[in-house]
Amino acid sequence: MFEMNRNLQQAAVLALALGLLSGCNSVNSSSSPSVGSSAVQYGDAKAVETVTNEFGSTDLQTIAESMTRSMLQSSVIARAPGTRPLLTVAEVKNKTSEYVDTRAITDTIRSQLLKSGSVRFAVDAAAMQNQTEELIRQNQTGLYNKNTVKKIGKMEGADYRMEGNIVSIVKKTADLQDVWYKFNLQLIHIESGTIEWSDEKEIRKTSKR
Amino acid sequence: MSPWSLTKKSLLLAALALNATLNAGCSGMMRNYDSELQSTTQMVAANQPEQALQILEKNNPDKQKDLLYYLEKGELLRMSRDFSASRACWMDADRVVRQWEETAKTDPAKLLGHLTSAVVNDKTRPYEGFDYEKVLLTAKIALDHIALGDWDAARVEIKKTHEREAIIAELHAKEVIQEEEEGKKRNISRDIKDLHGYPAETLNDPQVIALKNSYQNAFGHYLAGFVYEALGEPGLAAPGYRQAIELRPDVPFLEQGLKDLDTRINARTGKTDVLFVVESGLAPGRHSMMIPLPIPTVGIVSISFPVIAKNPSASYNPASLTIGDGSSVGLSAVTSVDAMARRALRDELPGILLRSAIRATLKGVTQKKLGDQNALLGLAVMVAGVVTESADERSWRTLPATISLGRVALKPGLHDLGVPGAAGKPLSVEVSGRHQVVHLRMVDRGIYLASTPGASHGALLPPADHGNKTQEASPGKSERRKNDSSKPTKEKNP
Repeated sequence: MFEMNRNLQQAAVLALALGLLSGCNSVNSSSSPSVGSSAVQYGDAKAVETVTNEFGSTDLQTIAESMTRSMLQSSVIARAPGTRPLLTVAEVKNKTSEYVDTRAITDTIRSQLLKSGSVRFAVDAAAMQNQTEELIRQNQTGLYNKNTVKKIGKMEGADYRMEGNIVSIVKKTADLQDVWYKFNLQLIHIESGTIEWSDEKEIRKTSKR
Repeated sequence: MSPWSLTKKSLLLAALALNATLNAGCSGMMRNYDSELQSTTQMVAANQPEQALQILEKNNPDKQKDLLYYLEKGELLRMSRDFSASRACWMDADRVVRQWEETAKTDPAKLLGHLTSAVVNDKTRPYEGFDYEKVLLTAKIALDHIALGDWDAARVEIKKTHEREAIIAELHAKEVIQEEEEGKKRNISRDIKDLHGYPAETLNDPQVIALKNSYQNAFGHYLAGFVYEALGEPGLAAPGYRQAIELRPDVPFLEQGLKDLDTRINARTGKTDVLFVVESGLAPGRHSMMIPLPIPTVGIVSISFPVIAKNPSASYNPASLTIGDGSSVGLSAVTSVDAMARRALRDELPGILLRSAIRATLKGVTQKKLGDQNALLGLAVMVAGVVTESADERSWRTLPATISLGRVALKPGLHDLGVPGAAGKPLSVEVSGRHQVVHLRMVDRGIYLASTPGASHGALLPPADHGNKTQEASPGKSERRKNDSSKPTKEKNP
């Protein structure tokens, strides 16, 4: 009887130790303390998303990575060392019936290109309002030290304009849905109007209904 | 036991059963929404939204309010020009819908469970709202945000609409499969044709059949296109206009929205791009109709089905508005809520038929068993059954019957607005900014105008031939007006 109790005690100690260890593991997996229920979980932002066959995060990341890689290898950028051409983002036309935020795609492409250090970007038309507002405020309100006021008329004109489009073909049957996307991007030399680089990325997604 | 004591006991049981039924009815189960809303809608038609609000409050004395209360109240507050309170009310409604969405995403089986529930009558279930109401709710909240000058918040609601539509589409597909399987398993017909005596013509209107589904509407998608365009996002505006065209390919006005998008983005006409949203009439109501249904092993059982009668208010929608000196803007009816409500019932009817048949079988068997044992008890249960058996008549009734759109470029300033056939002095609208939404609601004699300073967005660029670079760059955000738009620009029509 006493032997049995001892065994039980040992098992309990072992279980407690294991419990503490596993507890330590879970605590160590996160560097910060956490609050809330286990119903909410963080996932990998780069994980392949196949929840539905609508345009999703994986499509955006795939397109942006593919376009950035291709552009960095193009003669416009790769063969112009030290010059760092100045680009601006024009519109990527959404020709699908889906609410695909094409600006989110071009924002990612721009960030990745800037990180490479090979190009510079001039503010695009969408951000021009904030840019001019700031210049006007500095120059016209009299609130700023004249030595630090940025002069009007010094903005740099871009060498290239980045624009493109996204199209899709959707086909449905009673039990199957097929979506095909084609993203096309071009780099146009603004002065000459010549297309200096262009690439496409195609994505096909099929799902059972 | 003497025969007398048995009869007394039976009577007592029967009385208790009837009493329990009637009591349950008093606590909401017997709510007759069609007649309950009659006086409210009469007040709306008489241009007295404040009185309509009072009646609504009187009809909803419980502390715990349901979704329907918030939906109706939001609309009445909007008519009373209290956009802020209307938005808050609809936000409460949206919280209920979002809970439903969460369940649809994480535990759809829970929502699909009621499809084959044999015990519960449809009207005893908490009101979840029809799919078209859930989708229109976010578009309505977006209109409130616009009236209050918060276009970015309107964008959030519009994005929510797209996500909501996707959730509904997925759940709807599952629903159809489950109902089909259950019907086959129980050998119960789900075909409306087998419902002899049901006015099927009210649901077989060409306009109803032409709809892609019951929940997507061209108005919501066109509004999405307009808001995205106003916020300088043509990449998102295009699919808005495109989806509106796909939903109503027969309306040329919608095609123009997409065709002119590129021109409008770069246009510098010195005029405001004004979108007129004209809502007319009232959404149709549902009422009950008893139809005898042959139930195997039981016999003929009368079951109550919801019916949508002809809605006279759906027939009037203005074809144009006059502006200022006699020029006019054409209006196109892009969304018929009346047809959507009918389509919702048409899609829902096979499910209702299935559930009613299951319930009637159970009820009939119970009634027969009790009747065999004791005729009086059987009769009492039958009476209780008839009392409780009435169709679910609830729906968002203050919604319009028709939504029409018109779009025109107007010079900034005050414009007189005339509605053909409307009595009273002309309304006036102040136009400003680069984009503006003017919302008109018409119910019989009641005309409600929601044109607020906040409903305009963006700095108006001067015409191309007069502009210079400094003017082009004139700040838009600082000019975005976020005034207290609960103040009317013009009094309502008498």
